[in-house]
Amino acid sequence: MSLELQLLLLAWGTLVGLDLVSVPQAMIARPLVAGPIAGAMLGDVATGLQLGVLFELFQYDILPMGATRYPEYGPATVAAVSAAHAAAGTLGLGLGALVGLITGMAGGLSLHALRQLNTRAVRRAAAALEAGDPRVLERLHAAGIVRDAVRAAVVTALGLVLAQVARAYLAGTLPPRGVALLNVAAVGAALAAGTAGTLRLVGRGSSLRWFAAGIVGGTVVAWLR
Amino acid sequence: MSRPPTRARPGLIRSLLRLFTVQGSWNYERMQGMGIGVAEEPLLRDLRGEGGDDGVAYRAAVARGARFFNAHPYLCGLAVGAAARAEHDGLPPEQVERLRTALCGPLGSLGDRLVWAGWLPFTSGLALIGVALGLGLPAILGFVVVYNIAHVALRWWALRAGWTYGAQVAEALREPLLQRATALSGPAMALVVGAALPLVARYLSSAFFGWARVALAGVVAGGFALLWWQRSRLTGVRLGLALLAGAALAGWVWP
Repeated sequence: MSLELQLLLLAWGTLVGLDLVSVPQAMIARPLVAGPIAGAMLGDVATGLQLGVLFELFQYDILPMGATRYPEYGPATVAAVSAAHAAAGTLGLGLGALVGLITGMAGGLSLHALRQLNTRAVRRAAAALEAGDPRVLERLHAAGIVRDAVRAAVVTALGLVLAQVARAYLAGTLPPRGVALLNVAAVGAALAAGTAGTLRLVGRGSSLRWFAAGIVGGTVVAWLR
Repeated sequence: MSRPPTRARPGLIRSLLRLFTVQGSWNYERMQGMGIGVAEEPLLRDLRGEGGDDGVAYRAAVARGARFFNAHPYLCGLAVGAAARAEHDGLPPEQVERLRTALCGPLGSLGDRLVWAGWLPFTSGLALIGVALGLGLPAILGFVVVYNIAHVALRWWALRAGWTYGAQVAEALREPLLQRATALSGPAMALVVGAALPLVARYLSSAFFGWARVALAGVVAGGFALLWWQRSRLTGVRLGLALLAGAALAGWVWP
């Protein structure tokens, strides 16, 4: 993969990482958006769509409420698409999922570290903030956004390096059956996580009936096609 | 104190733009407080010239605006508008503080139900169905556009409602449309995501044949059972990594 393409993916991953919490929360950080766009950049929309769908299911497992800690799947999906694209025909989904899940965990840890850095910066400026100095407030806020952009770039870069390493050392080492097993594990885990996460959202109330109706309807359509 | 309608509109637009960055400096001490303060500041500028106190009222209001706050990011505008209006209306500082504190819980709960557990999975579920049925990129584009129309509208409504109602902002939360949308969003999300799951399963497993399909059914059932009964300890990402490690190991030793 050329350096230009890697830089393009890095820029996209940074925007995606910034969108998750800081600016503007327009949901380009959703894997379903981050993946296909990364795929389009690589001229492989199909792989981008598949991994976007796969990680969107993992995303259903988490609710981004308050101070909860959760994996970050946006830049992770960009890295996953990069891994799967170059390994197409050998590992595909499985390799992408492996790279993406590790990157997602790293992204989650980096968010926690960023929040701690922001906390320290706010504590240092407590006196000026309590004095109501708007310039200090705006400067601290802007610094937080810049810190998040750097964090997102680092996480994406880590994912892209991981993708490169995985391609170099894993692709070609597994027999065809092993490749199929890896793909089954990736899709199976995503479907299990998506279903469990959705059921937690739905709860035991009246929405459960609507969920059951949806499952029946979706199964019928899938069977007819 | 008289209301300042002449300066309100440009301030509101600047405030709305800043609200898109409300979580930019999220931290464990003030949570969204800093972002709220930054978004509220344009609405407080009129206070600089009032009372001839050399901006003391303005600075005190800016300091209050940046204190602890946490709610749903799309509905933060309600608190920003209401607090700024209360400052203009000359409410005592402790009453403004109480108003902000009182809004955290309801705005968080409402936003989580309406957006995180409603509108977002509903629209993303529709996009999943679209991709599974072969629509491709247009389904993704549709998701981004439709989701964000409601997103921006909600942010704008929240800010305007907060500014209009001020300390009586609880009335805005009783808006019939908001109540109906909250009641409908849960069942609609459940129906759409429920329909998306089998379609997506078919889409992702289209390249699997024979034993791989049987294995997939087993992995989904087992993984779901584990995630459901071990929900306090096991997450999707951990399950995924464990299964992938097991699959890689099995793949190497399987003749």
